[in-house]
Amino acid sequence: MTRSQLACWSLLALSFGCGSASPTSAGGAPDHSLAPVVRRLSTAELEATARTLLGSGVTLAAALPPDARQSDYSRNVAQSVDSLLLGQLFDATRGFTEALDLSQAQFPSCAQTALAADRDCAEATINLLARAAFRRSPSSLEVEQLLGLFTLAAEGADFESGVALVVRGLLGSPKFLYATTLGQRESAPGPNRLSNDELGSELSLLISGQPPDEALLVAASRGELASGSEREQQALRLLQQPQSRGLYRRFVQEWLGLIGLDGLAKSSQVISGFPALREAMVSETSQFVDDVFGRQAGSVAALLAGGYSIVPGALAGFYGIVPTTPGARVNLSGLGRVGILQQASFLATFAHESESAPVLRGKAVLTRLLCLDFPKPTDLGIDIVFPPADPGATTRERFARHAADSVCRGCHATLDSVGFMFENFDAAGQLRTSESGRALDTTGSILLDGHQLPLADSVALSSALASSEQVRKCAARQVVRFAAGKTDDAVEQAFVDSLEAASAERRGTFLGLFLEFVKSDWFAWRKSP
Amino acid sequence: MIRRKSLPISRRAALTALGAGATLAALFPQARPLRAAPAPAKYFIGVYMPHGMAREFWVPKPGFQIAYEGSSLAPFDDAATYGRSFRDQIVALEGLDLTAGLRASTVGHDASRVILTGSGTDGQNASIDQFLAVEQGLGQATPLSSLVLGVGSANPALQWCISYAKGGTALPKIINPLATFRHAFGQFLVDPDPAAVARAQREQRLGKSLLDYWTADLAELSARAPRTERDKLDQHATALRELEKRVLGQAVTCAVPLQPDSTLFPQVSSYQGGEPYFEVISNLQIDLMVQALACGVTHISTLFLADLSRTHFDASLPEDVHTDVAHRYASPGRSGSGGDPASQLLLARQNHYTYGKIARILQRLSEAGLLEQTVLVAMSDMGDPSKHSSRQVPTLLAGGWGGALRAGRHIDLGAEGTPSNRLLVSVQQAFGVESDSYGQSRDPSILSGTLALT
Repeated sequence: MTRSQLACWSLLALSFGCGSASPTSAGGAPDHSLAPVVRRLSTAELEATARTLLGSGVTLAAALPPDARQSDYSRNVAQSVDSLLLGQLFDATRGFTEALDLSQAQFPSCAQTALAADRDCAEATINLLARAAFRRSPSSLEVEQLLGLFTLAAEGADFESGVALVVRGLLGSPKFLYATTLGQRESAPGPNRLSNDELGSELSLLISGQPPDEALLVAASRGELASGSEREQQALRLLQQPQSRGLYRRFVQEWLGLIGLDGLAKSSQVISGFPALREAMVSETSQFVDDVFGRQAGSVAALLAGGYSIVPGALAGFYGIVPTTPGARVNLSGLGRVGILQQASFLATFAHESESAPVLRGKAVLTRLLCLDFPKPTDLGIDIVFPPADPGATTRERFARHAADSVCRGCHATLDSVGFMFENFDAAGQLRTSESGRALDTTGSILLDGHQLPLADSVALSSALASSEQVRKCAARQVVRFAAGKTDDAVEQAFVDSLEAASAERRGTFLGLFLEFVKSDWFAWRKSP
Repeated sequence: MIRRKSLPISRRAALTALGAGATLAALFPQARPLRAAPAPAKYFIGVYMPHGMAREFWVPKPGFQIAYEGSSLAPFDDAATYGRSFRDQIVALEGLDLTAGLRASTVGHDASRVILTGSGTDGQNASIDQFLAVEQGLGQATPLSSLVLGVGSANPALQWCISYAKGGTALPKIINPLATFRHAFGQFLVDPDPAAVARAQREQRLGKSLLDYWTADLAELSARAPRTERDKLDQHATALRELEKRVLGQAVTCAVPLQPDSTLFPQVSSYQGGEPYFEVISNLQIDLMVQALACGVTHISTLFLADLSRTHFDASLPEDVHTDVAHRYASPGRSGSGGDPASQLLLARQNHYTYGKIARILQRLSEAGLLEQTVLVAMSDMGDPSKHSSRQVPTLLAGGWGGALRAGRHIDLGAEGTPSNRLLVSVQQAFGVESDSYGQSRDPSILSGTLALT
């Protein structure tokens, strides 16, 4: 992140503290609470924490199996520690610790010259490392146990060998691998409030994707994070750190399902050189998300209809523009692209290899931006039938015939009429004006905020979504799902209801929603097990 | 330099060169003859087949003819390619529905989840491989309780996984043969240099201390975790026990094969340039899997096979098999006539390719003398893929099942659809598990019953 972008994060964040709405933890527990869980960290979170012990060059995530996902989010309660992951973690951490550089900042200065028998320096080292790995201060018993590991490895060897085994021990420990949100009983019976340590760890992982820094650990140990407003202030501080950028990139990619782009190919009849373009597509969306979160606090309206993007040089020809200065905003409105839904990453993800996919695009908008659910055809006793090929017809014409079936129409009238608005983009996301020699029809409609809106194309759709209250409510639900690591309708609804009194700035930006959530009681309390 | 460790060697003796060009004789130089009398099932292999099945070129002709023109089952009667005919070692089982998925909106591509679990996404039970390996303890005595492999995609989503831990989480697959080799055989690689031996002994001692430390930590966490998290933490405990077996070392009954030559597969992932190497990757995964069984590294394995999209192995197939073969398949189903024979033949070619890989598994099992005691189940997530239908999924059973399978025949369970749970019940009974139901569903009536396989 550049210096100017950092400043923008900072300025926006500081101007952001007004219009609070969510109930905060001054008093009792909320009516609905999330369930207590033991959540294995995502590989990105594991890597971020491992880097505090081993340095920023460590790439732990690549050494581990991919994350299980729930609702596409990698931060979820379904993650587990299976034999393959544990074995690969064991091998990776052994490799990482074969040549430790004890002059790095995470080690105390004494470590560079300490002898194997230097118990004081070992203890100081262990305290620092365990504090990073456990995301809290270790107890004296825990330090003693780790000293046992240190001594076993250092005896007959050297100080570094002892530290190496301690690091391996920490990076395989359940206390490192899992974040607990179990809470501790305040009064029986009733919900439990997260412990101070849990509050610090969870706040940092949720807001920055990183383990807590020293200031947060201190605040947690003093019990200050029991206060919602203190959590909010700490979150605002964390948002100024450039490391948090990756979390919001990941959040948007997972929310919109764009992580699927890596697993896609396109027919050579549609486009050549797709793998290289695919990387540029990911890069465009990442830079765009950085910009919208950095300069506009993750404005939902800007994401959907900001009217600009940041286009990597490799994608300029694809978009039909002249390459611009790297990182510069480009106005693409005249080219039919006003926001993230017209970015190639979204359009290519929700398409087939050789043709566009109105059903997939429509479903993506309705489920991910409006949080609607649709039954699967087989739930209704309907076989899924793919429209037959017809080189003389447009995709829309083929799908319109297929959805004319009275049984299919129930859902497809809704799904396809949204998806059809993207029909001026082909399977790879390239703009097109005709298909099969026939003119394209991009008109459609959507039921939004209680009104059926006829719209000309996806640009009009994005503009309508950008100002929709329904989209904002769904965005709030997505924040709760991401934070909880699962779907919890009661808490989602309660959080959405609480936002009625929040400022438009808070309700309309993802960072505002994250801040509202971390200061709320839903963040700090859990059901009694 | 890494050399093979001196280990107790069985009559099967040294497994040697491993690679794309390795010959059968080199892989299993002292193969045992097939057992004369049945013994209880000991090995389980589950295989996922992509893209549904073309029934028209799958149903055997009278007299269990499977080598007719266009037949996808032909590889099982192709001694020239696979060393012998396996016609008398397979059952073509027709009429199964993935019913538990139909009851829980886990259909189409997502029905992969149902194949070995007998459950939709509302179920939390383990797949049959993990049930046997972990809950029934079949994997307790082996270095690995199971070996979960794939080709092309490490994606842990429903449509890419058939192995599930208790609790309902998909198990990650190994898709790189080099990683498979290291996972299955890496612990047995030692450098005979005295200094290296000393290092290995030290590493074993340190590893044991780490395991003790982690086990104590996990016990402490488990004690305060809510009941809902128990399956997850139990799985972690199982993983620790498995790692302990690896760290402490465990004798295997054959010598360690050579490491696969990774220059033969510079890419392994779908959509990332791996497709041209899927042939060599599939063969290596299969060979390593059977070698792991033969060496006693594990008794349980699953394999999630890839399709032919963008591999260009078969010039008669379009580049995009998913859209242009599976979606274009036009079949009248069991009762009608018509459809599009050309589209049926294309899908049958994909099926034929996959069955060729399964024939290779049988060939390797036969060479290792394991076939009679093996239960192999191969199934797709769909019957008719153009309808994304999880009904009427043609299923292949193979191996001797320890005497619990009378092979060499076509079993037709009828057009009404039989819940696939019954197959899983029969599988568990072949391993001596007495229970008469398998899976979870809001409709418990589908979970019970067995198939008449003997």
